[in-house]
Amino acid sequence: MTTIERPRYNAVGEREPRVEGLHKVTGRTVYAADVQLPGMLHARLVLSPHPHARITALHADAALAHPGVVAVVTADDLARASRDGSNPARGASNRADALFADREAVFAGQPVAAVLGESYADAEEGAELVRVEYEVLPAVLDVEAAMEPDSPLARSPVSDIDHTEEDAHVTIDVRSEEAEGRATNIASHLSFERGDLDEGFSRADLVVEQSYRAALVHQGYIEPHATVASYDPATGDVAVWTSTQGQFHVRDTLMRLFKLPETKLRVVGCELGGGFGGKMIQSATIATACALVAGRPVKLVFTRREDLLAATPTPGSVVRLRSGITSEGDLTALEATVIYDAGAFPGAPVAAGTLLISSFYRWPHLRTDGYEVLTNHVSVGAIRAPGIHNITHAIEQQVDAMALGVGLDPAAVRLRNAVRTGDEMASGKPFPSIGMVETIEAAARHPIWTGREAARARSTETTRVGVGLAVSGWLGGLQPATCELMLNSDGTVNAVVGVMDISGVNTSFAQIVAEELAIPVERVSVSTGDTRTAPYAGIAAGSKTTITMGRAVREAAVDLREQMFSIAADQLEANPTDMVLGEGEVQVAGSPDRSLTFRRLAAITTGFGSLYTPIVGKGAISARVQAPGFTAQLAELEVDTVSGNVTLTGWATVQDAGYAINPLSVEGQMEGGTGMGIGIGLSEEYLYDDEGRLRNAGLLDYRMPTAADTPDIDSVIVEVPSEEGPYGARGVGEPSITAGGAAIANALHDALGVRLTEMPATPERVLRALGRVAD
Amino acid sequence: MARQTHRLDVNGRSHEIHAEPNRTLLEVVRDELRLTGAKEGCGTGDCGACTLLVDGRVVTSCLMLWPEAEGREVRTIEGLADGGELHPLQRAFVEHGAVQCGFCIPGMILAGVATLERVPSATRAEIRDGIAGNLCRCTGYQKIVDAIESVAEAPA
Repeated sequence: MTTIERPRYNAVGEREPRVEGLHKVTGRTVYAADVQLPGMLHARLVLSPHPHARITALHADAALAHPGVVAVVTADDLARASRDGSNPARGASNRADALFADREAVFAGQPVAAVLGESYADAEEGAELVRVEYEVLPAVLDVEAAMEPDSPLARSPVSDIDHTEEDAHVTIDVRSEEAEGRATNIASHLSFERGDLDEGFSRADLVVEQSYRAALVHQGYIEPHATVASYDPATGDVAVWTSTQGQFHVRDTLMRLFKLPETKLRVVGCELGGGFGGKMIQSATIATACALVAGRPVKLVFTRREDLLAATPTPGSVVRLRSGITSEGDLTALEATVIYDAGAFPGAPVAAGTLLISSFYRWPHLRTDGYEVLTNHVSVGAIRAPGIHNITHAIEQQVDAMALGVGLDPAAVRLRNAVRTGDEMASGKPFPSIGMVETIEAAARHPIWTGREAARARSTETTRVGVGLAVSGWLGGLQPATCELMLNSDGTVNAVVGVMDISGVNTSFAQIVAEELAIPVERVSVSTGDTRTAPYAGIAAGSKTTITMGRAVREAAVDLREQMFSIAADQLEANPTDMVLGEGEVQVAGSPDRSLTFRRLAAITTGFGSLYTPIVGKGAISARVQAPGFTAQLAELEVDTVSGNVTLTGWATVQDAGYAINPLSVEGQMEGGTGMGIGIGLSEEYLYDDEGRLRNAGLLDYRMPTAADTPDIDSVIVEVPSEEGPYGARGVGEPSITAGGAAIANALHDALGVRLTEMPATPERVLRALGRVAD
Repeated sequence: MARQTHRLDVNGRSHEIHAEPNRTLLEVVRDELRLTGAKEGCGTGDCGACTLLVDGRVVTSCLMLWPEAEGREVRTIEGLADGGELHPLQRAFVEHGAVQCGFCIPGMILAGVATLERVPSATRAEIRDGIAGNLCRCTGYQKIVDAIESVAEAPA
């Protein structure tokens, strides 16, 4: 797997099974929906059936008369949930604040009310009895038409845009500008410019112009959104058990919405049943509001239908490209327009997508415009590397088309033009250390790529075989992080962090502590505290947890080690700088018989009358430089030209991990992101009817890949060290999703000789591209 | 709805259950027996997170009414380990890195158990078909197939 010689360590760099794995294979792990509290009510939602409508009346009397129904909570009731009587949903511009539609429903599936029942069945029956009167308004359903100045508005004008979703995932110095007054559906716009486009195109021997579309897709976590919230009116204490990627983000949002003092609020981020950027807060706000109104614990678990309709999937897009290349293979100019369909609330990753579509190659001349447009589709949120699978599908087909158009090898053209460390992004900011070139080189050496002629030769009249390559990358986010590390009385150590473990990070943290203290991994435990017991931590997103919290963990271990050295030196009458680690002990260098075990050090720092302070290591780091990760992916596939079915027959995902602290986990991230990319490329999309209602709000028709649809994935880890990550590690969670759809599209072109410019490449679209079905 | 009383045999123990007959086997196992290893991921039989073994066969328990399970042998993830000794497939899932978020894993392991009981020397393709009713979004299935394959018997 590894292509360069790795630095040697003891604990990091090893394939370590996940520390919490045993709990998960025995069914003992507690997820939010597993929590039950005494006196707990169940909440069921009433959703708007219309994509855009005025709510003229809501009749709850029949529901309230139903046995077992305790309350019906609507936007009007939220002032009762807030400590100062203000109503957080009134005029809310952001999805997180808009718990329920406030007089205007802006997408089909938007929650309008919650019904609280003594049992789930009571609540469900009550929800069916709530009668809502709507005045249907014109719905804005086409993102390009929505940009026209005379388009109806998707919603009443709003103010401030909340950038939390984007910021959680990526740190960039550019920000889209909010359209003034919001008299149009364009929520924000930004652009990048370099050089002179006319000059660039005049130097080109070939200019390619093409538009690409990507569908709105769901993150597809198997655990739907779930929260149990409790409120004790006697003490004012609010406790929330929830499925979220960021428990402190939930805490801060609930504090802000309901004006709760932090001393009265505890958020427990439960083990997360998948997030991928989509698990932030949706169920926690509604469940907490309901608990505050009812004065009793409330459980809210989204049904799958609700999760597809009313959570925050990730945007569809239109990308228009015009670009030039010389016959030698030098890229000369890029003109790009990137349009994201944000749905009914702002929150699309327009800055990241617009920046990166123009930053992967050395374009001497470029102009890129990005737009975030409001429609009456469901409001969107993040996904792994939000927005990037969309733009990669466009730019990587474009580069492929240009290379083939001038008769050059697509891998060679990519290598010739790929950005290197220090090259400027479209924003002018230089890339930190990156391994895009090394990643492409490893893909170009892979048997799937070198064997593509032989693969194509397997083609028959009705089964066409093709191989495609696509490359992409992700900058990742940055956030400060802190960790506490305690020496236990038996000489083991406990680490406490506040970040959610969504990718095996606690296992990597245990490896880091073990490395720095020269002890086996089994002697380290890592606990995820809650918002009362753990130091502040950011959202587990943006491929940043290991590179930020991992640094804090390493600093905490170094701090703990130095405290041990200092106390041991005092006891052994030696100099602290002469101390070294032995097996579970501190020794004087060169005199291993002069030593103190970790257990003894714990005893003399915690015993009655001890002269020393207990040994508690602390690590705290600030955000500095990102550690971007690049990926190159190879798809080999067979297309049945009669049915349009595509079968993947081979796959390689190459990714620069910087340094793989736990290769088992890194491969897991690569394979998981690849699986999502395959679904996005082949089968997943939100299908709306002409009235703007979702037609496939279930997992039979919203089609995620099964094991039988997925090929064996060969994960190839490249290690070009980053400046910042511990041991050179990079962000690895997100890049793996970015290139799959584009690799499939390029393989389809290789097989069929036609371009599928709309993603996913469903059998219907394949047959359309082949001219076998009419438009 | 009036409650009914039936006996359920779950993991080798017999339980007398008193519940509304329109509730699913999944609800009764989770809420009455407090065996929460089985999960609800969709409620429509499409994701497999609620998979249980009923008389050794894979059942999406979100679609089965609980009185239908009377007189049959129900097996949940909690009943798979023999005391402190894990089932070989449970151990293989941990060691091969097949476990990530874990939400699909109880159902996935039971589907793997049923696959290997049916085809002890299952190939990778047969394993993929055997677990095709169980969605996983974290792993791309790679290490799940690796784990099940490691426990399968060598082909005769």
